[in-house]
Parts: sequence; C-alpha cells; structure tokens
Amino acid sequence: MISLFLDILSSAAILFILSAGLLIIFGVMNILNFAHAALLSVGAYVALTVTQFGLSPWLAIPLSFATGFVAGAIIEQTVMRWIYSRSLDAILAAWGLGLIIVQLITITYGRQIQFVETPLSGAISVFGETYSLYRLFLVGLAVLIGLSLTFLLKGTRLGLNTRAVIMNDNLAQALGINSALVRFLSFSVGSAVAAMAGALITPLSAVNPNMGFPWLVSCFMIVLLSGSSLVSLALSAVILGGAQVLVSTFISPVAGGMTIVVLAAIILRIRPEGLIND
Amino acid sequence: MIEISRKNGLVRRKLVIFLVVIAMFISLVAIGPSVLDRYTVNILIRSFLYATVVLTVDLLWGYTGILSFGQSALFAVGAYSAGLMFTHLGFGPIHAVVALFGGIFVAMIVGWLVGWISFWHRATPFYVAVITLVLPIIVVQLLYSNPYKLTGSSSGLVGFPSFFLSVQEWFWIAGGVLIFFSSAAWLFVNSNFGRVLIAIRENEDRCRYLGINTIKIKTWLFMACAAIAAVAGYCYAGFTVVVAPEIAGFVFGTELVIYNALGGRGTLIGPVIGAVLIDLSSAYLSGNLPYVWKLIIGSIFVAVILFIPQGVAPLIMQGVRFIKAGVFAKAPQKSLPEELPELILAEYTNKNIQAIPLRVESLSRNYGSLRVLTEINLEVRRNEIVSIVGPNGAGKTTLMRCISNGHEPTEGVVWVNGVKAGKVSPHQLAELGIGRSFQNTSLFAQLTVADCLRLARHRAEAPSMFLHQRDLNLPESTLRILKATELDKMLNEKVSNLSHGLKRALELAMVLATEPAVLLLDEPTAGLTKSERTLIASILTDLLDFNDLCILLIEHDLDFVRDISSRIVVLHQGKLLLDGTVDEVVSSELVRSIYSGEQINFKEENV
Repeated sequence: MISLFLDILSSAAILFILSAGLLIIFGVMNILNFAHAALLSVGAYVALTVTQFGLSPWLAIPLSFATGFVAGAIIEQTVMRWIYSRSLDAILAAWGLGLIIVQLITITYGRQIQFVETPLSGAISVFGETYSLYRLFLVGLAVLIGLSLTFLLKGTRLGLNTRAVIMNDNLAQALGINSALVRFLSFSVGSAVAAMAGALITPLSAVNPNMGFPWLVSCFMIVLLSGSSLVSLALSAVILGGAQVLVSTFISPVAGGMTIVVLAAIILRIRPEGLIND
Repeated sequence: MIEISRKNGLVRRKLVIFLVVIAMFISLVAIGPSVLDRYTVNILIRSFLYATVVLTVDLLWGYTGILSFGQSALFAVGAYSAGLMFTHLGFGPIHAVVALFGGIFVAMIVGWLVGWISFWHRATPFYVAVITLVLPIIVVQLLYSNPYKLTGSSSGLVGFPSFFLSVQEWFWIAGGVLIFFSSAAWLFVNSNFGRVLIAIRENEDRCRYLGINTIKIKTWLFMACAAIAAVAGYCYAGFTVVVAPEIAGFVFGTELVIYNALGGRGTLIGPVIGAVLIDLSSAYLSGNLPYVWKLIIGSIFVAVILFIPQGVAPLIMQGVRFIKAGVFAKAPQKSLPEELPELILAEYTNKNIQAIPLRVESLSRNYGSLRVLTEINLEVRRNEIVSIVGPNGAGKTTLMRCISNGHEPTEGVVWVNGVKAGKVSPHQLAELGIGRSFQNTSLFAQLTVADCLRLARHRAEAPSMFLHQRDLNLPESTLRILKATELDKMLNEKVSNLSHGLKRALELAMVLATEPAVLLLDEPTAGLTKSERTLIASILTDLLDFNDLCILLIEHDLDFVRDISSRIVVLHQGKLLLDGTVDEVVSSELVRSIYSGEQINFKEENV
C-alpha cells in the first residue's frame, strides 16, 4: 500500500518534471513544442557525457540545464521566432528540428542503448517500506522546480512581464514590454528545464537517441489538460500518473502505458476547458 | 460533365488539361516496368502506395488544415488486415475481398473515433495533431503486445501467402491505385464541395455560422482518408508479404507529412510527386549514409517550412510561368478575363411559419462571477427592424453571441420560429433560421466572391462533390445587394482584394443567401462612408418589403438607427432598460443620461 502510494507520488513527480518545460513554452507562446522529445534526449546525453568523463553525476543537472538553455536559445533565434504566428507551421518546424537533433545525437553517440551513473543509489526505509532513494529525491526536486518557477513567474519583474504577454501580447507590447525578449527567455528556460528533466530520468531508463519520444505524447496530453497553470500541471500529473500506476499494477503494464493518453483524451473530450476552469 | 463544358470554356480547358495529365501518368505507369530496372520497379511500387497515403495527408492538412501524423496507423490497419487474414486463415479470393473491405471498415471506424475525439467545437488544431500522434503510438503498442499471438509482435507477420502476381502487375496495380485516388481527389477538391474544405481551413467558425456542419464534414473526410490509406496498406501487404509494427509508427507518419510539406501542401500533385521522388532517392541514398540522409531531409524540411511554406510545387509552377512569360514576351499575352458565373434567381423557399421569428426569454450570461447579461426578455416580430443601442460594454455583442450560439447563454431560452433552441451549435441555429454578421468582417480571404456566396448556399443546395458548377442560385435579396454594390461584376475577385465596404456588403449578401428568418447584424455600418451607409440603410429597409424576415442590429450611429428602426432596445450594464418605438426611446431622459454619462437613477449593480 505504502509502496503503491510512493509509486504514484514519484510517477507524478517524474511527469511533472518532464512536462514543466513544455508547459512554460505552451503557456507563453501558445505553441506545443514538438522538439520537446529531442530536448529530453539532449539532457540525457549530457548526463551520459558526464558519466563518460568520470565526473560527479550531480554535475549533470546544472550542465544539462545550461545545454538546454543554449539549445533552446539557438532554436528560438534561428527558427521559432519567425513563425510563432503560423502555429501549425511552428509545431512542424519544431518537429523537424527535433529530428535533426536526434540525428546529430545518433551520429555522435551511436544509436545503441547506454547507461548513466546515478547520483543517488540505494534505498531508504519509509514507514517500514524500502523505496528507491532516487525516486524520492525526484519528488522533492519536482516540488522545488514547481516553487522556483512559481517564484520566477509571480515574484519577479520578468515574471510580471511574462504574465502580461500571456494575457494580452499586443497590449503588453504597447506598454513597452519587450515581448520578443519574453518569448526568447521563455523558450530558452522551457528548453533548459526540458533538458534537465531528460538528464534527471537517465538513472531510471536506458539512454538512446529516441528515448524522449515515448514520453512526448504523455507530456503533450498533460500540458493540454493543464493549460498554462503550474498548479493544474501538478494536479494533472498526480491524476494521470496515479491512473497509470494503478492500471499497470492491477490490470496490465501494456494498458498502463496507454492510460495517460487515453484518459487525458477522454477528460478533454468531456471537459474541453481542461482540468481547472479559471 | 457535358453540361458544364458547354457552359464554360475555361472549365473545359481545365478538364482537358486534367485528362491529358492523367493519360500521361497512365502511359508512364504502363511502360514503367519495361524501361526501368527491377530494383527501381520494386521501390516504385512502394513509393506509389506511400504517395497514395500522402494524398490523404494533403486532403486533410493541405486543404482542410487538419494536421495528421496518424495516417501511418490507418495504412497499417489495411496492411495488417491482409497480413492477419492471409497468415491465419490462408489466402483465397473470398479471403482477399473480406480482408480488403474488413480493413477499410476498421480504418473508417478508427477514423470516426479519431474524429469524435478530435473534432468538437473548441478543439484547437494542436489538439487534433496530438491525437493523431497518439493514434500510431497506441496502434504500435497493440501490435507489440501481440494479442492472442496474432500480430507477431515486433517482427510482425512475414511470408504469408498472397496474390499470385508478377512484380510488373503489382507495379500497374500500385500505379493504378495512385492515379485513381489522385484523380478522384483532384475532382473532389476542385468541385464546389472542395471550396468548403478551404473555407474550413481559413475560417471554420464563420462556416458554422453559415449553417455548415464542419464537424460532420471533417469527420467524414477523415473517414474517407482512412479508407484510402487502408487500401494502400492492403496493397502494400499483398505485394511485400511483410507487415511489421514500424509501418504503423509515428516515424512513418511524420515522413508522410514531410513528403507533403516538401512537395507542396494543397496541390495534390506536388505531394504525390514529392513522395515518389523522395522515397525513391531515399532507397538509393539512405543505404550508404542512413543518418546523414535523415539529417539532410530534416534540414530541408525545416528550411521549406521556414522559407517556402507552400512547398516546392508552387515554386516550380511559378518558374514555368516565368519562363513562359519570357519566351512569349513578344506576343502580348493578355489572358482573357475569366468568364463570370451566371447569377440565377433562386426560388425563395417561403417557410410560411406563423410563429414569432425570435423570442428571447430571461437570458443571462456569466463569465465566471461576472454577470454580463441579466434576464433579457426580447421579442422580434416579422418585418421589424429592431436596433440595440447602448454604450460600449453594455453586452450588445454578447447578446448576439448568445442568440447565435446555443452554448453561450448561462441561463434562459431562445426560441427561433417557435422552436426552442437548447445548447446547440451555431450551425444548428443557422438551420433554424438565424443569420449573423460579425463586428469585424471575418471572411475567407483566399476564396473568390462567388465561392463565398456558394458557401452561404451550402445548406440550401448541397454542393456537388465532383463537379464544379459555376452558376449561382441566389435569393433576390442577395442579388439586389450584389447589383447595388456592383459586386456582381467582381464575382471572380478574391475576397482579400475587396475594399472594406465591399467586404461588409458581401458579408451581408452571404448572410442573406442563407435565407434567414432572423438577421443579426453587428454594426453593419462600422467603418463605412456616408454614401455606403445610406446604401446599406436602403437595402435593409427594402429587405423587409419583399422578404419575410426580421432584423436585429447593433449600431452606434444613432441617426442611422433612427432612420431605419421599427423599434429600439436600450441595453446598459447587461440589462434591458427600454424597449419602445423610435420616438419613445429618442425622447427618453434615460437614454440621454446613459449616453452623456450622467448619474443614472436606477440601482447600480456592480459585481
């Protein structure tokens, strides 16, 4: 029972971490970043490189964040900023960029499955139940990421500008807010968080160039369900992650793998406004 | 077909070109096997079938704006239908036919399901794209899970018995399938119905207010495309006798979209040729440098999306035209002006309904805790022009929205022609007899005036699926507006080239062409010149003389309102304050104080 609860909690945390970067970009630009999967892979390969150089696995977290930021900045400046207004084209271009990134990774690292050293190994006893220390660490980290993003959005000048752009881009521009800069930073930070998420899941899953894709659709569905709110992102992650764990445990792992997308599609069909109606 | 060719030379020319192109492709396919080497023939069979699927991507995305990554899954449905049948039950003529139609049937069911999940009134194009991305992932999962040991898991089904046909015959079959579906698709998109697809892509919302059930059209289109993809998949399985989960995957689904984008979306021929050429060159090049080849394709794809979003085909077409213009520079090539469609007076379908056209009963609208409309009661009788006046933010446009879209009101009932309209979509209200024009002229920039008018007649006369009839049957009111504004001489003009005043007139003409019982006009004279205003005023008053309808309009120009209204309704802060004749309202103390912003002596209700 306790281990089931911990499974749900940590699965939700993983989903939250994986989708947070996507949510930032969707919230500000109203565009689903179809390059998200590739960015997850980028982060994972940063972690792999850290392992290969024999450095401390903890270094993977800041390094993947930085790499993701730079990658996002390049993508935004070279491609995305020109086609925000053509939304379907924007997701196609992002998708194409994702393919390019994955091919570059494949050419550099090969397509074989590789493994990354975990920064935290072993298990810990929680209420008499031994549980993976790293998964618990991810729960704490998810909370930390959620709080820092909330602070960034609600507690800083940049956040205020960002919220203005989200609500009414034209008016924000008329008020002298540099909305191009806001979009640039949002895209870069979103990509950075995505890459960091990719590095964070490496101890749990094998690394290969396409490793991001299985997560991609789940992330999309969670973000579509959440709109642009971090609170509803957390809620969606708990509901869908929980459902996935329950279905995998009690019905079958195959059905569990499809739970998130199917459930999210049904919820969206019944409640088009998403989980939280604001 | 004889009918249209007789009427119009241009259509005949287009049809001739079409037939020549088809004949050319048929002869190419016919001689293909005898001039090409065996390897190329083998690859081309596959390419033809891929191109057939790309055709469906183009119909969905290029024409209708539904981006689908999931056509691979529907291709796989057809392929696995053949694979499963032939592997487990053996091959035979009956088995072959059952597998084909079974595959088409299942694909259409899946298509319907995707449509049901993705097409509802507020679904964004992203949502559809994501759902179509989910589809291949689910199908691949199912295939991998190998239910009852049927699908052969990751290795798929290999070497099942199949048709006893030579490679050459398969080449003809695959080529035939491609040419057949391409020509059917070409006729379809160039038919009157094809314009509806473009209209949906350009402005789906507006289509719905013209009484077009876009959700139904999109769902049917998706199902038809699913069937085509399944046929292609079936042939693929029959020829290769290999079906593996990869053909259902999103990687293949994405490649189809890439072929489409590179070839030229919304051109049919571009994507087909693009698919064949790219798949063929992939087969030759990707063997040596698989990763680099994908990298190149990906880079070209991004570049095309960025710089030439219309793809390569239109670019080539332009190039040809440019060269032609250079070669024939001497002879002044003045293209003949396209013949105008003939305007025919449509029989006015007088429904002769005695009920009150529009009755609004205690209608309220809340946005969260904010109440924008409070308990509005309103009746508009036949042959009346009722104007709604009131300061900005009074709730005038919200009222119109509540009348024309059953999902809008929070409480209350709208009766149209004596029928109670519940929570229904705009197209259903349009069917009941509501016609609405919008505050900001929202039309279809890429369509011509004639196309727009035909679109408005969609409900009255179902458009032909495969023919392009140029004549327009329009009610008298529409014809009058066209004549008065001389729009009848610009029927072939693109809407984006019209002036603001003409756009407004066209919008009015379109709404009238739907033969509404209730005409809702949101600021019909906004941004018009004095003379245009007078024209609109005379058109509106004329309308009542020969049409059995009523008009509810929002207007800020009080002189205009005074001239034409039978009654005036005053809205203020979401409440209906006054409902009376022109004189009553104009002389009212209340109206004066509202407009001059004086303190108003009634209970203020601030939320």
